Amino acid sequence: MSVDFLHPGEGVVIDKDVPALELRGIDKRFPGVVALDNVDFTLEPGKIHALMGENGAGKSTLIKIMAGVYGKDAGTIRLRGREVDIKSPRDSLKEGIKVVFQEIALISEFTVAENIFLEGYPTGRAGSIDWKKIRADSAALFNRIGFNVDPAARTGSLPVSQQQMVEIARALAHEARVVVMDEPTSSLTPNEVSLLFTVIQRLASLGIAVVYVSHKLDEVFEIADTVTVLRDGRHISTKPIGEHTSDTLIQDMIGRRIDNLFPRQRGAAGSKVALSVEKLSTAKKLDDVSFEARAGEVLGFFGLMGAGRTELAKAIVGYDPIISGKITVDGSRLAPHDTRTGVRLGIGLLTEDRKSEGLMGELPVYQNASLASLGAFARLGFVDKAKEHRAVQDYVDRFRIKTPSLFQQVKNLSGGNQQKVLISRWLMRGLKVIVVDEPTRGIDVGAKSEIFALIDRLAGEGLAVVMMTSEMPELLGLSDRIAVMCEGRLTAIMSRDEATQENILNAAIG
Amino acid sequence: MSLASTASAKTQPSTLARLFARQELALLVCLILVLAFFSVTVENFFSVRNLTNVLGQASLPLIAGIGCAVVFISGEVDISIGSLLATIALPLIIIMNDTNSLLLGVGGALLFGLIIGAVNGYLTAYAGINSLIVTLGTMFIMRGGVYLYTGQRAIPDDASLDSFIALSDGRLFNIMPYSAVIAIILLVAFGYMMRHRPFGRQIYAVGGNQEVARLAGYDVRRVKFVCFIISALLATVAGIILAARVGSAQHTAGLNFEFQVVAATVLGGVSLAGGIGSLTGMALGVLILQFLSNGLRGLGLPTEWQLVITGMIIIAAVAFDEAKRRRANGG
Repeated sequence: MSVDFLHPGEGVVIDKDVPALELRGIDKRFPGVVALDNVDFTLEPGKIHALMGENGAGKSTLIKIMAGVYGKDAGTIRLRGREVDIKSPRDSLKEGIKVVFQEIALISEFTVAENIFLEGYPTGRAGSIDWKKIRADSAALFNRIGFNVDPAARTGSLPVSQQQMVEIARALAHEARVVVMDEPTSSLTPNEVSLLFTVIQRLASLGIAVVYVSHKLDEVFEIADTVTVLRDGRHISTKPIGEHTSDTLIQDMIGRRIDNLFPRQRGAAGSKVALSVEKLSTAKKLDDVSFEARAGEVLGFFGLMGAGRTELAKAIVGYDPIISGKITVDGSRLAPHDTRTGVRLGIGLLTEDRKSEGLMGELPVYQNASLASLGAFARLGFVDKAKEHRAVQDYVDRFRIKTPSLFQQVKNLSGGNQQKVLISRWLMRGLKVIVVDEPTRGIDVGAKSEIFALIDRLAGEGLAVVMMTSEMPELLGLSDRIAVMCEGRLTAIMSRDEATQENILNAAIG
Repeated sequence: MSLASTASAKTQPSTLARLFARQELALLVCLILVLAFFSVTVENFFSVRNLTNVLGQASLPLIAGIGCAVVFISGEVDISIGSLLATIALPLIIIMNDTNSLLLGVGGALLFGLIIGAVNGYLTAYAGINSLIVTLGTMFIMRGGVYLYTGQRAIPDDASLDSFIALSDGRLFNIMPYSAVIAIILLVAFGYMMRHRPFGRQIYAVGGNQEVARLAGYDVRRVKFVCFIISALLATVAGIILAARVGSAQHTAGLNFEFQVVAATVLGGVSLAGGIGSLTGMALGVLILQFLSNGLRGLGLPTEWQLVITGMIIIAAVAFDEAKRRRANGG
């Protein structure tokens, strides 16, 4: 009674009348928060069901309950009409519920092929692992999907986009009745996204129920049959996609209307050069990159996957080594080329990888925020806690960071609020140039516009903002000037007025 | 050409580079260098007798090293093995003296080892106490217990069973010490488990990333629990061979043995962080240190110097490894 993506036709036809998965009256509480309050969620076999909502709406919690990561406090879960008790990820997998998490969940030391079969190795004689089958099946699986990933590669050596493809492929390697995808396209190229959509439609045609979690409205309108919106842990609406427009969907998600995602408040950029980069090259990627960023402007960098945006971001703040070139911040040369000098001169990076390069998840909000400026709170070599807390509280208020207290572990905050904590860290230090890499990755609509407003405000306060992004609306909406990269080179710099989607994409292709 | 294919072309080094990137090959080259150096400088070093003797001596750290490596790979540590060596000799010798049965003695020793492994495993995996602390604790408790029980006097093996004595000086075909044969069999068996059994891969997965392993449906706690039992049982086997060699239960048996094993395991490229390393690497690490120590003794260098040199080699090896890894990850 299940369908195996690798061997379609071997599964039994699924009864279309019984819901594939039915969650009723689900409650989940965490200390001090009601994460889910009496939520119903029903999945029909063969249908693609989008799950939407802002940060903290309860989407992740609901997914994690389906995956067995969290237990529910109340409610029932029925699988094809039968009540089931899901207590661990193992139970969930056994019932054929496959979740593709947003955070890459792969063993980096293993090969791609081994990761694909992690949850159940095919075994041959005497229970030995059948490595030949693992290699052959994973190659066949990638072929079928059309993803271009080498099954023999060490997973940790692959770029994030390919790891995401491995994650997706893994969900299809075993029998599945329900496939849940949490923001599966966050680091895929448009081409790969369309491949993924073909795969999802094929899953649905095989009778699998698909849950598609995304913040991207255009994706949801393209792929979903049904949309369920959660807000503040409560079920708001479940409708066929045809009954929604962008406006009604956003309205359901945030409970109010957003007229303009990019409310520009700041004035025109100044003419003072805050950052100058001359003939920068790195061993891995960058090739002779030169540009200037002025105080008070947002300079947007666009490029396809692998164009070198992240590499550029890390090189200009002194994080990654360079082989030649000159970086000048506010008139002083960044030498020696390291982050210590970078921070002293006033350039900082808001990383795309908040979890491993930005935050110390276990530590409280206030320590994360004050990290770069402890010197300012020091008295006789000791940190003046009261002063530190006051300063952090000031930022929490200004940026409306949603946290129960300064002492909350930062890992418990939503993505948008974590991003604000990181921005506070740099502002507290008194930056002149801030480099932001994919500032809204994994952050949803309502919070996105807050991040946009924040970036706008940073430029308004006279910082030069260098923004790396792969999102066209973000690029066009926020930038004063737009730079385009292709394979490590800078292929175009244009003013916002000259820029169109076409000439940006042309430059990005090279 | 798609972007994905350029990316994967970049991440695939040449076959030669991949071979050299393998820890085991570098270690094998080191071992050959050590053997070559002492063959030239020390008389009778490269003789069947000396080489098999060293293998016999290496069998104890080899056997216990399997357990040490397995626990490391699962992301934990076990430093109680030295004390366990001394402790399990008590049930072994006492039961043999009473019953004149090797089988019952060995059975009693293994049962005792199993209990200690279960205690270590339970406290670490289920009670969630740091494994370094747990095994440091059981290390002291067992050593203290042995001192108390024996009153710091050896308990001699009065049964003197031939089969037991053969464990110390018997040789297969008159060439290979039985203890080395046992070590090789265990290495092959556990090497197979780690590479080709689902449970072996689960150990790597748990050590590589505990949360990912849990999401893949693994019982992380059970995997770790079993690793501690494997470690304790293998240390028990090493302890039985040691007791046969000294012909008694000694309260000082296996003092500092755990650090000798940890040193060789780390030299063999098994990471304390978990998920990385192989039993082949561990075995090569043991052999390098054993042959080095044997050769240095042949050169007439005092033991004190061997300690100093061993210490320097371990730090150098791990530093080298770290540098290589950093380069591979391009940071």
